[in-house]
Amino acid sequence: MAQAAELPNKLFANGRGVLAKFGYGRLDHDPAVEDWPAMWDLLKGDFAVAARPEVPSFGQLGAAEQAAAMDYMRRRIEADHSLEICERLHVELFAGGIDTARVERYSAARETYETCVEEFGEARERLEALLRRKS
Amino acid sequence: MKTYDKGDVLPDDYKALLLNLMAFQGDSEYAGAQRVAENMRFAPRPEEAYRLSKKVMEEMGHGYYIWNLMQDLGVDVDARLQELVRNPDNPDPKKVNVINGFRKENWSTWFECWEDVALFSTVVTPAAVAFLGQYRDCSYLPWARVNVRIHKEEHGHLAFGVWASKRCIEFGGEKTREFMQDRVAKFMRVGLGFYGRPSSGGNKSAMFDKYYEYGIKVKKPEELQAEYMELLESRLKDVGLEVPKGVEPDYDMRVGYEGADKPLETVN
Repeated sequence: MAQAAELPNKLFANGRGVLAKFGYGRLDHDPAVEDWPAMWDLLKGDFAVAARPEVPSFGQLGAAEQAAAMDYMRRRIEADHSLEICERLHVELFAGGIDTARVERYSAARETYETCVEEFGEARERLEALLRRKS
Repeated sequence: MKTYDKGDVLPDDYKALLLNLMAFQGDSEYAGAQRVAENMRFAPRPEEAYRLSKKVMEEMGHGYYIWNLMQDLGVDVDARLQELVRNPDNPDPKKVNVINGFRKENWSTWFECWEDVALFSTVVTPAAVAFLGQYRDCSYLPWARVNVRIHKEEHGHLAFGVWASKRCIEFGGEKTREFMQDRVAKFMRVGLGFYGRPSSGGNKSAMFDKYYEYGIKVKKPEELQAEYMELLESRLKDVGLEVPKGVEPDYDMRVGYEGADKPLETVN
Protein backbone atom coordinates (compact mmCIF):
# COMPACT_ATOMS: atom_id res chain seq x y z
CA MET A 1 0.00 0.00 0.00
CA ALA A 2 1.33 3.45 -0.89
CA GLN A 3 2.36 5.68 2.00
CA ALA A 4 0.28 8.82 2.52
CA ALA A 5 2.05 12.11 1.89
CA GLU A 6 3.48 13.49 5.08
CA LEU A 7 2.80 16.66 7.06
CA PRO A 8 5.90 18.86 7.44
CA ASN A 9 6.65 17.57 10.93
CA LYS A 10 7.67 14.19 12.34
CA LEU A 11 4.83 13.58 14.77
CA PHE A 12 2.89 11.00 12.76
CA ALA A 13 6.07 9.35 11.48
CA ASN A 14 7.35 9.03 15.04
CA GLY A 15 4.02 7.60 16.16
CA ARG A 16 4.15 5.03 13.38
CA GLY A 17 7.68 4.22 14.53
CA VAL A 18 6.27 3.27 17.93
CA LEU A 19 3.49 1.22 16.34
CA ALA A 20 6.13 -0.48 14.18
CA LYS A 21 7.51 -2.10 17.32
CA PHE A 22 4.19 -3.94 17.38
CA GLY A 23 4.10 -4.84 13.69
CA TYR A 24 2.90 -1.68 11.94
CA GLY A 25 4.34 -1.27 8.47
CA ARG A 26 3.36 -4.69 7.19
CA LEU A 27 0.34 -3.38 5.30
CA ASP A 28 1.48 -4.72 1.95
CA HIS A 29 1.59 -8.28 3.23
CA ASP A 30 -0.94 -10.78 1.95
CA PRO A 31 -2.75 -12.19 5.01
CA ALA A 32 -2.51 -15.63 3.39
CA VAL A 33 1.27 -15.53 3.72
CA GLU A 34 1.46 -13.50 6.91
CA ASP A 35 4.06 -14.71 9.39
CA TRP A 36 1.69 -14.94 12.35
CA PRO A 37 4.25 -16.42 14.80
CA ALA A 38 6.62 -13.49 14.11
CA MET A 39 3.81 -10.97 14.56
CA TRP A 40 2.73 -12.70 17.77
CA ASP A 41 6.24 -12.23 19.14
CA LEU A 42 5.83 -8.47 18.64
CA LEU A 43 2.41 -8.34 20.24
CA LYS A 44 2.42 -10.86 23.05
CA GLY A 45 3.69 -8.26 25.55
CA ASP A 46 0.04 -7.16 25.72
CA PHE A 47 -0.57 -10.30 27.81
CA ALA A 48 2.48 -10.34 30.13
CA VAL A 49 0.61 -9.36 33.30
CA ALA A 50 2.30 -9.61 36.71
CA ALA A 51 0.48 -12.87 37.43
CA ARG A 52 1.72 -14.41 34.13
CA PRO A 53 4.89 -12.64 33.01
CA GLU A 54 5.90 -15.35 30.52
CA VAL A 55 3.57 -15.52 27.51
CA PRO A 56 3.71 -18.68 25.34
CA SER A 57 5.02 -18.47 21.77
CA PHE A 58 2.49 -18.82 18.96
CA GLY A 59 3.42 -22.48 18.46
CA GLN A 60 2.82 -23.26 22.12
CA LEU A 61 -0.75 -21.92 22.00
CA GLY A 62 -3.63 -24.38 21.70
CA ALA A 63 -5.98 -24.29 18.69
CA ALA A 64 -8.56 -22.03 20.36
CA GLU A 65 -5.89 -19.62 21.59
CA GLN A 66 -4.22 -19.55 18.17
CA ALA A 67 -7.54 -18.69 16.51
CA ALA A 68 -8.16 -15.93 19.05
CA ALA A 69 -4.59 -14.66 18.60
CA MET A 70 -5.06 -14.48 14.83
CA ASP A 71 -8.31 -12.58 15.27
CA TYR A 72 -6.48 -10.14 17.58
CA MET A 73 -3.63 -9.68 15.09
CA ARG A 74 -5.96 -9.21 12.10
CA ARG A 75 -7.77 -6.46 13.97
CA ARG A 76 -4.45 -4.69 14.53
CA ILE A 77 -3.85 -4.79 10.78
CA GLU A 78 -7.32 -3.31 10.17
CA ALA A 79 -6.52 -0.53 12.64
CA ASP A 80 -3.33 0.22 10.72
CA HIS A 81 -5.27 0.57 7.46
CA SER A 82 -7.76 2.99 8.99
CA LEU A 83 -4.99 5.01 10.65
CA GLU A 84 -3.38 5.48 7.26
CA ILE A 85 -6.66 6.89 5.89
CA CYS A 86 -6.88 9.33 8.82
CA GLU A 87 -3.34 10.53 8.25
CA ARG A 88 -4.02 11.05 4.55
CA LEU A 89 -7.04 13.20 5.42
CA HIS A 90 -4.93 15.28 7.81
CA VAL A 91 -2.67 16.04 4.88
CA GLU A 92 -5.69 16.98 2.75
CA LEU A 93 -6.92 19.41 5.43
CA PHE A 94 -3.46 20.92 5.71
CA ALA A 95 -2.97 21.22 1.96
CA GLY A 96 -6.52 22.07 0.86
CA GLY A 97 -7.81 24.03 3.84
CA ILE A 98 -10.47 23.48 6.48
CA ASP A 99 -14.03 23.14 5.23
CA THR A 100 -17.09 21.27 6.39
CA ALA A 101 -16.82 18.46 3.83
CA ARG A 102 -13.18 17.69 4.66
CA VAL A 103 -13.80 17.96 8.40
CA GLU A 104 -16.72 15.52 8.19
CA ARG A 105 -14.75 13.12 5.99
CA TYR A 106 -12.01 13.14 8.57
CA SER A 107 -14.56 12.68 11.35
CA ALA A 108 -15.96 9.58 9.66
CA ALA A 109 -12.46 8.16 9.10
CA ARG A 110 -11.38 8.64 12.68
CA GLU A 111 -14.59 7.06 13.93
CA THR A 112 -13.68 4.01 11.85
CA TYR A 113 -10.18 4.02 13.33
CA GLU A 114 -11.59 4.34 16.82
CA THR A 115 -13.89 1.39 16.22
CA CYS A 116 -10.95 -0.68 14.94
CA VAL A 117 -8.91 0.13 18.05
CA GLU A 118 -11.84 -0.75 20.30
CA GLU A 119 -12.27 -4.06 18.48
CA PHE A 120 -8.55 -4.73 18.80
CA GLY A 121 -8.93 -4.22 22.54
CA GLU A 122 -11.97 -6.49 22.72
CA ALA A 123 -10.07 -9.21 20.82
CA ARG A 124 -7.23 -8.86 23.35
CA GLU A 125 -9.71 -9.34 26.20
CA ARG A 126 -11.14 -12.49 24.61
CA LEU A 127 -7.67 -13.95 24.19
CA GLU A 128 -6.67 -12.86 27.68
CA ALA A 129 -9.66 -14.77 29.08
CA LEU A 130 -8.55 -17.92 27.25
CA LEU A 131 -4.95 -17.59 28.44
CA ARG A 132 -6.09 -17.00 32.01
CA ARG A 133 -8.24 -20.12 31.92
CA LYS A 134 -5.28 -22.15 30.69
CA SER A 135 -2.67 -20.86 33.18
CA MET B 1 -29.70 34.61 28.36
CA LYS B 2 -29.72 35.90 24.78
CA THR B 3 -28.56 33.25 22.32
CA TYR B 4 -27.14 33.47 18.79
CA ASP B 5 -27.21 30.94 15.98
CA LYS B 6 -25.32 30.54 12.72
CA GLY B 7 -25.75 33.60 10.50
CA ASP B 8 -26.97 35.92 13.28
CA VAL B 9 -25.26 39.29 13.57
CA LEU B 10 -23.11 39.22 16.73
CA PRO B 11 -22.38 42.40 18.76
CA ASP B 12 -18.72 43.32 18.26
CA ASP B 13 -17.61 42.88 21.86
CA TYR B 14 -19.53 39.61 22.18
CA LYS B 15 -17.89 38.31 19.00
CA ALA B 16 -14.41 39.27 20.20
CA LEU B 17 -14.85 37.47 23.51
CA LEU B 18 -16.43 34.45 21.87
CA LEU B 19 -13.68 34.13 19.27
CA ASN B 20 -11.01 34.41 21.90
CA LEU B 21 -12.33 31.39 23.78
CA MET B 22 -13.06 29.45 20.60
CA ALA B 23 -9.49 30.10 19.45
CA PHE B 24 -8.14 28.87 22.76
CA GLN B 25 -10.20 25.72 22.46
CA GLY B 26 -9.52 24.99 18.77
CA ASP B 27 -5.80 25.78 18.90
CA SER B 28 -5.31 23.96 22.19
CA GLU B 29 -7.20 20.86 21.06
CA TYR B 30 -4.84 20.55 18.10
CA ALA B 31 -1.69 21.48 20.04
CA GLY B 32 -2.75 19.12 22.83
CA ALA B 33 -3.03 16.32 20.28
CA GLN B 34 0.52 17.08 19.16
CA ARG B 35 1.71 16.76 22.76
CA VAL B 36 -0.16 13.49 23.18
CA ALA B 37 1.49 12.26 19.97
CA GLU B 38 4.89 12.97 21.52
CA ASN B 39 3.92 10.72 24.43
CA MET B 40 3.59 7.76 22.08
CA ARG B 41 7.24 7.02 22.88
CA PHE B 42 6.28 5.97 26.40
CA ALA B 43 3.71 3.35 25.29
CA PRO B 44 4.89 0.06 26.79
CA ARG B 45 2.52 -2.34 25.04
CA PRO B 46 0.55 -2.63 21.79
CA GLU B 47 -2.90 -1.73 23.08
CA GLU B 48 -1.56 1.27 24.99
CA ALA B 49 0.10 2.54 21.79
CA TYR B 50 -3.02 2.11 19.67
CA ARG B 51 -5.32 3.69 22.26
CA LEU B 52 -3.03 6.70 22.59
CA SER B 53 -2.86 7.04 18.82
CA LYS B 54 -6.68 6.98 18.78
CA LYS B 55 -6.68 9.83 21.30
CA VAL B 56 -4.40 11.88 19.03
CA MET B 57 -6.83 11.45 16.15
CA GLU B 58 -9.80 12.47 18.32
CA GLU B 59 -8.19 15.61 19.73
CA MET B 60 -7.14 16.80 16.28
CA GLY B 61 -10.71 16.20 15.12
CA HIS B 62 -11.95 18.47 17.93
CA GLY B 63 -9.63 21.20 16.71
CA TYR B 64 -11.04 20.90 13.19
CA TYR B 65 -14.64 21.16 14.49
CA ILE B 66 -13.93 24.40 16.33
CA TRP B 67 -11.86 25.93 13.55
CA ASN B 68 -14.60 25.15 11.06
CA LEU B 69 -17.02 27.22 13.18
CA MET B 70 -14.51 30.04 13.56
CA GLN B 71 -14.18 30.16 9.80
CA ASP B 72 -17.90 30.98 9.58
CA LEU B 73 -17.13 33.99 11.77
CA GLY B 74 -14.44 35.29 9.45
CA VAL B 75 -11.27 33.91 11.00
CA ASP B 76 -8.44 32.63 8.78
CA VAL B 77 -8.23 29.24 10.49
CA ASP B 78 -6.02 27.69 7.81
CA ALA B 79 -3.24 30.00 9.01
CA ARG B 80 -3.67 28.57 12.51
CA LEU B 81 -3.38 24.98 11.27
CA GLN B 82 -0.36 25.92 9.15
CA GLU B 83 1.37 27.50 12.15
CA LEU B 84 0.81 24.53 14.44
CA VAL B 85 1.82 21.97 11.83
CA ARG B 86 4.94 23.85 10.77
CA ASN B 87 6.01 24.83 14.31
CA PRO B 88 4.70 22.17 16.66
CA ASP B 89 7.43 22.74 19.24
CA ASN B 90 7.12 26.51 19.51
CA PRO B 91 4.11 28.02 17.71
CA ASP B 92 4.00 31.81 17.56
CA PRO B 93 1.66 33.13 20.32
CA LYS B 94 0.74 35.99 17.99
CA LYS B 95 -0.71 33.45 15.54
CA VAL B 96 -2.29 30.84 17.82
CA ASN B 97 -3.76 30.76 21.36
CA VAL B 98 -2.44 27.60 22.97
CA ILE B 99 -2.99 27.16 26.72
CA ASN B 100 0.25 27.20 28.65
CA GLY B 101 -0.10 23.58 29.70
CA PHE B 102 -0.07 22.42 26.08
CA ARG B 103 3.06 24.32 25.15
CA LYS B 104 5.94 21.88 24.82
CA GLU B 105 8.22 23.65 27.30
CA ASN B 106 5.64 23.12 30.07
CA TRP B 107 4.14 19.80 28.99
CA SER B 108 7.46 18.00 28.59
CA THR B 109 8.39 18.64 32.22
CA TRP B 110 5.49 16.49 33.45
CA PHE B 111 6.17 13.25 31.58
CA GLU B 112 8.90 10.78 32.40
CA CYS B 113 7.14 7.44 31.96
CA TRP B 114 3.94 5.75 30.81
CA GLU B 115 2.48 6.00 34.33
CA ASP B 116 2.55 9.80 33.89
CA VAL B 117 0.63 9.46 30.62
CA ALA B 118 -2.00 7.30 32.32
CA LEU B 119 -2.26 9.68 35.28
CA PHE B 120 -2.63 12.77 33.10
CA SER B 121 -5.80 11.35 31.57
CA THR B 122 -7.04 10.24 34.99
CA VAL B 123 -6.23 13.39 36.97
CA VAL B 124 -6.19 16.34 34.51
CA THR B 125 -8.78 15.23 31.95
CA PRO B 126 -11.64 15.49 34.50
CA ALA B 127 -10.88 19.22 34.58
CA ALA B 128 -11.21 19.43 30.80
CA VAL B 129 -14.45 17.43 30.98
CA ALA B 130 -15.88 19.87 33.52
CA PHE B 131 -14.50 23.00 31.84
CA LEU B 132 -15.47 22.21 28.27
CA GLY B 133 -18.77 20.74 29.43
CA GLN B 134 -20.04 24.24 30.27
CA TYR B 135 -19.79 25.31 26.63
CA ARG B 136 -22.64 22.88 25.79
CA ASP B 137 -24.96 25.44 27.39
CA CYS B 138 -23.33 28.62 26.14
CA SER B 139 -25.10 31.41 24.26
CA TYR B 140 -23.50 30.74 20.85
CA LEU B 141 -25.51 27.73 19.72
CA PRO B 142 -23.23 26.31 16.96
CA TRP B 143 -20.39 26.16 19.48
CA ALA B 144 -22.71 24.64 22.09
CA ARG B 145 -23.75 21.87 19.65
CA VAL B 146 -20.18 21.01 18.70
CA ASN B 147 -19.25 20.83 22.35
CA VAL B 148 -21.95 18.25 23.00
CA ARG B 149 -20.03 16.04 20.55
CA ILE B 150 -16.64 16.90 22.04
CA HIS B 151 -17.75 16.45 25.64
CA LYS B 152 -18.87 12.89 24.95
CA GLU B 153 -15.42 12.07 23.59
CA GLU B 154 -13.61 13.79 26.45
CA HIS B 155 -15.46 11.40 28.74
CA GLY B 156 -13.95 8.64 26.61
CA HIS B 157 -10.48 10.06 27.30
CA LEU B 158 -11.20 9.94 30.99
CA ALA B 159 -12.11 6.27 30.56
CA PHE B 160 -8.79 5.80 28.75
CA GLY B 161 -6.95 7.24 31.76
CA VAL B 162 -8.69 4.90 34.18
CA TRP B 163 -8.08 1.92 31.88
CA ALA B 164 -4.40 2.79 31.37
CA SER B 165 -3.82 3.39 35.09
CA LYS B 166 -5.43 0.08 36.01
CA ARG B 167 -3.28 -1.68 33.42
CA CYS B 168 -0.14 -0.13 34.88
CA ILE B 169 -1.04 -1.63 38.24
CA GLU B 170 -2.14 -4.94 36.72
CA PHE B 171 1.28 -5.28 35.08
CA GLY B 172 3.41 -3.67 37.81
CA GLY B 173 1.61 -4.65 41.01
CA GLU B 174 1.58 -2.77 44.33
CA LYS B 175 4.99 -1.20 43.77
CA THR B 176 3.61 0.55 40.69
CA ARG B 177 0.45 1.61 42.53
CA GLU B 178 2.60 3.33 45.19
CA PHE B 179 4.76 4.92 42.48
CA MET B 180 1.64 6.32 40.83
CA GLN B 181 0.11 7.54 44.09
CA ASP B 182 3.20 9.69 44.66
CA ARG B 183 2.73 11.30 41.24
CA VAL B 184 -0.97 12.22 41.53
CA ALA B 185 -0.29 15.61 43.19
CA LYS B 186 1.76 17.09 40.33
CA PHE B 187 -1.12 16.50 37.90
CA MET B 188 -3.78 17.56 40.40
CA ARG B 189 -2.15 21.00 40.63
CA VAL B 190 -2.77 21.39 36.90
CA GLY B 191 -6.33 20.09 37.16
CA LEU B 192 -7.21 22.46 40.01
CA GLY B 193 -5.84 25.47 38.15
CA PHE B 194 -7.52 24.66 34.85
CA TYR B 195 -10.49 27.05 35.23
CA GLY B 196 -8.57 30.10 36.36
CA ARG B 197 -8.76 32.13 39.51
CA PRO B 198 -11.95 32.41 41.63
CA SER B 199 -14.77 34.61 40.29
CA SER B 200 -14.65 36.92 43.32
CA GLY B 201 -12.12 38.35 45.78
CA GLY B 202 -8.84 40.17 45.30
CA ASN B 203 -7.36 37.65 42.88
CA LYS B 204 -10.43 37.40 40.66
CA SER B 205 -10.03 37.10 36.91
CA ALA B 206 -10.27 40.44 35.13
CA MET B 207 -12.44 39.05 32.33
CA PHE B 208 -14.68 36.50 34.00
CA ASP B 209 -17.67 38.80 34.62
CA LYS B 210 -17.87 39.76 30.95
CA TYR B 211 -17.85 36.15 29.77
CA TYR B 212 -20.43 35.23 32.38
CA GLU B 213 -22.71 38.15 31.58
CA TYR B 214 -22.79 37.18 27.89
CA GLY B 215 -23.40 33.49 28.63
CA ILE B 216 -20.17 32.48 26.91
CA LYS B 217 -19.07 30.94 30.19
CA VAL B 218 -22.00 29.61 32.16
CA LYS B 219 -20.30 28.27 35.28
CA LYS B 220 -18.10 29.93 37.88
CA PRO B 221 -14.61 28.55 38.56
CA GLU B 222 -15.80 27.46 42.01
CA GLU B 223 -18.60 25.36 40.48
CA LEU B 224 -16.21 23.81 37.97
CA GLN B 225 -13.74 22.99 40.68
CA ALA B 226 -16.42 21.19 42.68
CA GLU B 227 -17.41 19.23 39.56
CA TYR B 228 -13.74 18.40 38.96
CA MET B 229 -13.21 17.13 42.49
CA GLU B 230 -16.26 14.88 42.26
CA LEU B 231 -15.05 13.36 39.00
CA LEU B 232 -11.48 13.05 40.26
CA GLU B 233 -12.40 11.33 43.50
CA SER B 234 -14.56 8.73 41.76
CA ARG B 235 -11.93 7.97 39.09
CA LEU B 236 -9.03 7.71 41.52
CA LYS B 237 -11.09 5.44 43.73
CA ASP B 238 -11.87 3.25 40.73
CA VAL B 239 -8.13 2.91 40.02
CA GLY B 240 -7.26 2.25 43.68
CA LEU B 241 -5.60 5.61 44.34
CA GLU B 242 -6.39 8.39 46.82
CA VAL B 243 -6.87 12.14 46.47
CA PRO B 244 -3.78 13.74 48.07
CA LYS B 245 -4.32 16.45 50.70
CA GLY B 246 -3.17 20.06 50.60
CA VAL B 247 -2.60 20.37 46.83
CA GLU B 248 -2.59 23.99 45.60
CA PRO B 249 -3.79 24.97 42.08
CA ASP B 250 -1.26 25.91 39.41
CA TYR B 251 -3.02 28.83 37.70
CA ASP B 252 -0.20 29.36 35.22
CA MET B 253 -1.40 26.36 33.18
CA ARG B 254 -4.97 27.66 32.87
CA VAL B 255 -6.90 28.95 29.91
CA GLY B 256 -6.09 32.65 30.18
CA TYR B 257 -9.09 34.96 30.50
CA GLU B 258 -6.89 38.01 30.13
CA GLY B 259 -6.10 37.12 26.54
CA ALA B 260 -9.59 38.30 25.60
CA ASP B 261 -8.39 41.88 25.82
CA LYS B 262 -7.00 41.53 22.33
CA PRO B 263 -9.62 40.51 19.75
CA LEU B 264 -8.74 38.17 16.90
CA GLU B 265 -8.37 39.58 13.44
CA THR B 266 -11.10 38.50 11.03
CA VAL B 267 -10.92 38.35 7.26
CA ASN B 268 -14.18 40.18 6.50
